[in-house]
Parts: sequence; structure tokens; C-alpha cells
Amino acid sequence: MPAELKYKAFLVDKKLIDADPHFVDGCASCHKGDEKGVSREKAHAGFVKRPSSDLKICGKCHDNVAKTYKDSLHFTTAGLRHGVSGRFSSKEQKIFDEKVFQKSCRSCHASCGDCHVMSPKIGGITTGFIKNHQFVKKDDGKTCAMCHGGRVYPEYTGDYGGSADVHYQKGMTCLDCHKKAEFHGTASVYKTKKEVKEKPSCTGCHKIGDEKTEKAKTSHAQHNNRVSCYACHSGGTYRNCYDCHLGKGATSKPGFILGLSPRDKKTVTTLRVIPTVRNTFKAAGIAMEKYDALPNYWDAATHNIKKRTERTRSCEICHVEKQDFLTKDKLLKNGSKANELLLYTPKPIK
Amino acid sequence: MKRGVLYCTIFVFISMLLIPFVSAARDIEPVVSTDWLAKNMNNPKLVIVDIRKVEDYKTGHIPGAVNVFFNTWAVMKTGLRNEIPPLDDLADIIGSAGISPDSLVVVVGDADLPPNRSGITRVAWTLRYAGIENVAVLDGGYDKWKSDKKPLSTDAVKPKQTKYQVKVNEAIFAKKGHVIGAIGKAVIVDARGADFYEGKQKLDFVAKAGRIKSAVNLPAMAAYNKDGTFKNRKELSDLAAKAVGTDTSKEIIVYCDTGRLCSVWVFIMSDVLGYKNVKSYDGSSEEWMKDPNAPTEP
Repeated sequence: MPAELKYKAFLVDKKLIDADPHFVDGCASCHKGDEKGVSREKAHAGFVKRPSSDLKICGKCHDNVAKTYKDSLHFTTAGLRHGVSGRFSSKEQKIFDEKVFQKSCRSCHASCGDCHVMSPKIGGITTGFIKNHQFVKKDDGKTCAMCHGGRVYPEYTGDYGGSADVHYQKGMTCLDCHKKAEFHGTASVYKTKKEVKEKPSCTGCHKIGDEKTEKAKTSHAQHNNRVSCYACHSGGTYRNCYDCHLGKGATSKPGFILGLSPRDKKTVTTLRVIPTVRNTFKAAGIAMEKYDALPNYWDAATHNIKKRTERTRSCEICHVEKQDFLTKDKLLKNGSKANELLLYTPKPIK
Repeated sequence: MKRGVLYCTIFVFISMLLIPFVSAARDIEPVVSTDWLAKNMNNPKLVIVDIRKVEDYKTGHIPGAVNVFFNTWAVMKTGLRNEIPPLDDLADIIGSAGISPDSLVVVVGDADLPPNRSGITRVAWTLRYAGIENVAVLDGGYDKWKSDKKPLSTDAVKPKQTKYQVKVNEAIFAKKGHVIGAIGKAVIVDARGADFYEGKQKLDFVAKAGRIKSAVNLPAMAAYNKDGTFKNRKELSDLAAKAVGTDTSKEIIVYCDTGRLCSVWVFIMSDVLGYKNVKSYDGSSEEWMKDPNAPTEP
């Protein structure tokens, strides 16, 4: 195969360089290296593969964005740290920050270029430029879909779980709901995505009280603030990952689990298994002294929403059959003691 | 005189074979060419349904085409892949695409890979199941439209919603119990590749390798040319005749692994070649091979 075809996804279009103001100062202004170098080695001396990991590069012109993006969860990956830090003693937290977070979790941070120039690397593999090194405003299918290609995007399109989300059916992609402020950040520093005030909510578009049918109106009024939208409108199974770092790699399987949200212990919602097991960080010398402080299930914002599901069609699915609710016998073996706080038994309809 | 009748009969037969994709009861040919579609795009009854991913549709599509991704038309149900959505959902899907009972629907998708090709016929079959009479597929799919340098658009189309009432066409749908009873009576066609038919290969989610007892093999991909267009009517007719015979009144049940691939031959045999009693066994091997009482070979 000719090289120009083999490396098509990585070639830069000469016409583009001439037309786009991003290239006005030459390639080396971002990528460094030696433009006068006559051999490959000399030309690439000091070459920077992902220049926009250094926010000062883009910040030269896009100062406002760079200022807020430095604290955005996509850049800090703080959610990965705080999602698990509740299990650590303060001594363990220090070890985690040095040995695990900086060396492993942080490598997943998104640089500006990961969303605007080249599809991010997943497992060391990238699909190449989004569009010939053009700086694109957005392309959800080549950016969001890559990092969130395990548990969100394929569930949204129905490629995992088997049924497309109703919003995808209507032609909506990630950035139709998730707005720029969520990615570029605001002045706020968030620890987890749950704290992000700018994130979308179902009721932002679907106001309670505006329902077209009496059944929907009654049902929403009855369950409001007690049951999440996902609990009833999640259209099917979603990916649950198990046994991370047990020495054999994590495994995943489809599932659908209902229980109390670990955030407030009172809202019934969809739960997703967290693959952190007791010896996940054993190799780093972390025993997780407070492992039982956090459960093995988190509330899941499932992206497989349907107008009608088994639960919207029939109240009995939950209130009589208690289908899919987490029960004591279904809990993960050797799991966290905090799991029991998520059990909920639906009450019979009066 | 006898010779005259014979010549006349041969002439009519040959003429039928030469006319591409004719069906008398339709207002649209079951397989339409890119040229036909380009000429008829302004027909107010025409609805072009693009079943590719939303992102691909936004990058470029046939002007006027509405986008309803394949996974909307074929869903996971009772543990089985690629099932027909619940009928109230199906009515919503059809209505939100702006389809009415008298619409002329052309289904368009990528025609590069087997799942994409069969996705097109599967959606066409689903629309026929829901009671739409005039359903066609674009020969060669979106790939052919692009390679023929036909006009493209990036303007997303918001169709005018209709209130569609599903009129189920049960005659084209076979349940497992019906297939069990049809062994030895109907012609059962396995539309998978030869290795799957012979039990040498199976997909992970299919419980065991093998085929439905008495099934004959007619791989779905045999119906296509390399570029994703359909073979001509004579070639398709010969392939079908070799597998199921020429008795167009005989019951034919086609299956595959999930009910997607088999839609190719269901659509061709019933809508193109005029076989009158062709059913899809939608549960296919995924359902059949789970049942220890369902007869299998080898």
C-alpha cells in the first residue's frame, strides 16, 4: 500500500496549512523540533507530539478558554481521583496520588487537540486527524465517542445494549445536550461530575407538568424526587465492569440494576457496578483501609433512554414483581459493606 | 399454432427476467437505482430514510433524506437481538420519520459491509411488516449515490410527523413454534455463510453451532455484486431457484443468526422475484439454538 494511503489519517494537507491561521507561525511554533533539520532525527529533535497538553500553547490566543479549562474535569481528571479516594487513609492517598493518579489516571486527560484536532488515543491507538489537521469546532463521533466508547457512546447508539437512545433516534449527539461550559469549564473547580452545575438535566427540556397524557402526568408527579428519570426510562441493559486489577483484567457484561443512589441514599435510580475490588491497588502498596466506606455501585446516568419501557408500561414490574432491584442475595461477593445501604424494596401500590 | 404459443410463452418469460426488479402491485420498484432516485426526489410522496449513524448523516446525505438510525428499527427484546420494536414504539418511529400509509419509502444505508447491506433490507422488511406497501431500497446504497457524484446535503431534515397506525403484516413473520411445525413442509433457508450453515463456525451469542433441521443454504451476500449493488434479476432468480425451487406458492422461511442478514433474501424473494409466501424467522439461530427441543443439524 502506498505510504500516502497508509498514513492518510495522519497527513497534513498543504492547502490547509496555507489557509488556516493556526499554521501561520509554522509547525514548530507548537510542535517544536528543528524546522531546518535535514535528517529525520535532527528535524524531530525535541518534537512535541501533543503540544496542547501544555495549555499555554493554545492559551496564547484562546486565553479565556485555557484559563478555565485548566480546572475542567476533562483536563484534571479529578473525578477519577475523588471517585476512589474515599477508600484510602491519608497515607494511602499520598501513595495513590504519586504512584497511580499521576502516572496512570492523569494520562487520560484531554488536551485541547484531543477534541479539536486529532481523535484521542485509546489503548495507544488513535484513528488519526479528525479532518486533516484542521482545527474543528466539534465532532462528537470522533472525539467524545472515543474516550466514552466503553460505557456511554455505544449504549447511546444502541450498539451496546441493543436499542438506540430516543435522543439519538431524533438526531441528537453528545453536544446537543452537553454544552461548551461543561468541557471548557467555568471558574469553578469541581471534584466530580456530579458537582458540575452546567451539566444537562432531563427536566431542563421535559418540564414536569407539561406531559401530554394523564398517565405520564400522574406518574411523574408521584415519583418526582423519589425516583430518577433513568430508573423508569432507561431502555435496557448497560455495561457493568467487574474485577478490575485482579490480575486477569476487568471483565464486563450487560446488566440493569435498580437501587438507592449512593449519593443521597434515598432516590431510586439505575446503578452501575464499579470494578474496584479489594486488591485493585495492591501492586501500588495500597490496601484500601477504608474500602467499605464506599459501595461497589454508583448511580448511573444511563444513555439509553426510551419514552416507553417495561416500567413505564406497567407499574407491576416494580411494585409487584420488584424486577431488577438490587437485593441482598444479588450483591457482589466480598463486596463493600456499604452496598447494603443501596437496597430498596418497592412498596405495593395503595 | 403450438409452436406460436411456445414462442410467445418463452418471450414473455425472458422479458420478465430482463425487466429489472418489477413488482405489479407496487407504486415503486422494490430496488431503485441512484438515477431513478435523483429524478424522483421531488415526488411529494417520496420519503428517503437514511439508516446510517447520526454523525455520518450529518457529514453528508441525500438531500431531503430523514435520518433514523438502524438500531432504532431493530432492538434488543426478550434477550434477542434485532427484534421488531414494540408496536406503539414502531408507530412512533414511522410517524416521526414522516411516513404515511401512501408514502413511497426508499431505505438508504451504507452498502459496504454485510451488516450494513442487510440493515437496509431489514428496515425495508420492518416497514412492510408495519403495513407500508411501497417500500424500496436504493441499489448500492449511499456508497453508490456518492460514487455516482449525485447531490449531497448536510442540512438535517426535520420531517413533518404523522400519526401512523401499524397494520401488522403477520404473513411475513414466523415465530419459533411455526418453524418447528414447518420442518419437512416448508423450505427453510439459512442465509448465513457456508461455514455457519455447516456448523464449523458460530457467533458468541449463539448457543451452539449448526442449522435448523432440513434447512438449505443460500448466503445473503451471494445476492450482491462487489460494489454493494444487487445482482441482476436473472442471477438472483437463478440463485433462488437453485435453493428453493421455482414454485412461487410454496412456503419459504428464511433465517440467519438474528433476523438481520436473512432479510436480504426475504426481501428479494418476496418483493423482487414474486415468491408469494416468504417469511422471516426473526428469532433465528440466537433463539433456536437456545432451545434443546428445537431440531438441529448436523
